[in-house]
Amino acid sequence: MTVTAEAADADIVARSQAGDADAFEVLYRRHAARIYTLACRMAGSADDGEDLLQEIFLQVHRKLGSFKGDAALGTWVYRLALNHCLDYVRSRRAKMNKLTETLDTDTSFEPHAPRETPIARMDLERAIERLPEGCREAFVLHDVEGFDHKEVAGLLDIAEGTSKSQVFKARAKLRGWLKK
Amino acid sequence: MHPNDAAITDYIDGALDVRERAEIDRHLESCAACRRLVEDFREIKGVAASLELREPPVRSWTRLERAIKLEERPAAARRSPAWAEPRTLAWLAAAAMIVLATAVGLKFMPTGARRAAPAVENTGAQPAAEAGAANTASANVVSANAAAQSVAAELQQAEDHYEKAIKGLEQIANAEQDVFDPKTAATLQKNLAVIDQAISESRAALRAEPASEPAQESLLESFKAKMALLQDTVALINEMRKGNDAGAARIVSGLKQKGD
Repeated sequence: MTVTAEAADADIVARSQAGDADAFEVLYRRHAARIYTLACRMAGSADDGEDLLQEIFLQVHRKLGSFKGDAALGTWVYRLALNHCLDYVRSRRAKMNKLTETLDTDTSFEPHAPRETPIARMDLERAIERLPEGCREAFVLHDVEGFDHKEVAGLLDIAEGTSKSQVFKARAKLRGWLKK
Repeated sequence: MHPNDAAITDYIDGALDVRERAEIDRHLESCAACRRLVEDFREIKGVAASLELREPPVRSWTRLERAIKLEERPAAARRSPAWAEPRTLAWLAAAAMIVLATAVGLKFMPTGARRAAPAVENTGAQPAAEAGAANTASANVVSANAAAQSVAAELQQAEDHYEKAIKGLEQIANAEQDVFDPKTAATLQKNLAVIDQAISESRAALRAEPASEPAQESLLESFKAKMALLQDTVALINEMRKGNDAGAARIVSGLKQKGD
């Protein structure tokens, strides 16, 4: 992080903590899209993503005092958001008890005739929302957010092999929907 | 034999060693199905990595700002309600009157039952045999305009009724809001902010397209939702003033479910 960026982060944090609503709004507007996008994809719905966004930024507001500047403010906000999304996913999974179901389903595939049209981003975005819980989170963390399987396994508290099979299953499902 | 799922995944993610990679390369040379699978998975991975960010709705900041303000309210403003304090229930009687008056006043139905005359398409030059039909179409346009005006007038009337009732309920809710604990107050504010946003959006849609039935319905549904929420709020105040913990808890639980 550059000295200028570090100073800008420190300034925005200090002003927000002092009750400067404008400063916190700047912080929000700088990071809201990235956090909202992550939340929507992890939750699988825009409505849940919006609620998560609010909860995350309320936490950011409450915890700004614990920001020490070791990493960039954006990284700190992202980690906090990711943890919050993971808590949400775990809690929902516990409630719905769907993990076993999603892990044990068949992941075999039938090859489709190749479709010439490239996959549109918008189509993929919608299709991700349709993915079953379990494989959606692994896919989002691995293919969208760029974590490796070891990191995904740690974040989702699953085995590395499970992360690979969940990502395979997600890709196979997306392929079935988008490349038919 | 086809490579297994993990091997395909590792191959695409570049996680295989040279020997394993060469084995799969050899298989792909002779297996069109696996080759297509790998190509498709690579495409999916590539597009996934290039997805764009999504902008949150405009209302998100307003909601957050309200929630932060509620959290920052001084402790004195967040004190527990004096439930046992004897108070008149005149507010509640007034609220009930407003609700009844509104229920009686609402008659607007923007549905298929009162649809305007069918829209007439501009089909350009028409054969002579269809001249009569064109006259009928012209009459239909006049009829459609008249119907649209009538719908707009009735919509305005219904909107006025709702706004009057909502104003009354808001006065009660605002005057008595100190009975709420911060969490309940936050839930109410969150729900109200969402509904207010829906009302603004419906109004904007109606300004752009006054005859849009979905927009009309959305506006009235939003008014109904706001009425229902304010009625719940007044009912909650009533239960809290009476000291009826169970009744208050039931209403709060309903509010949270709506807000969740």
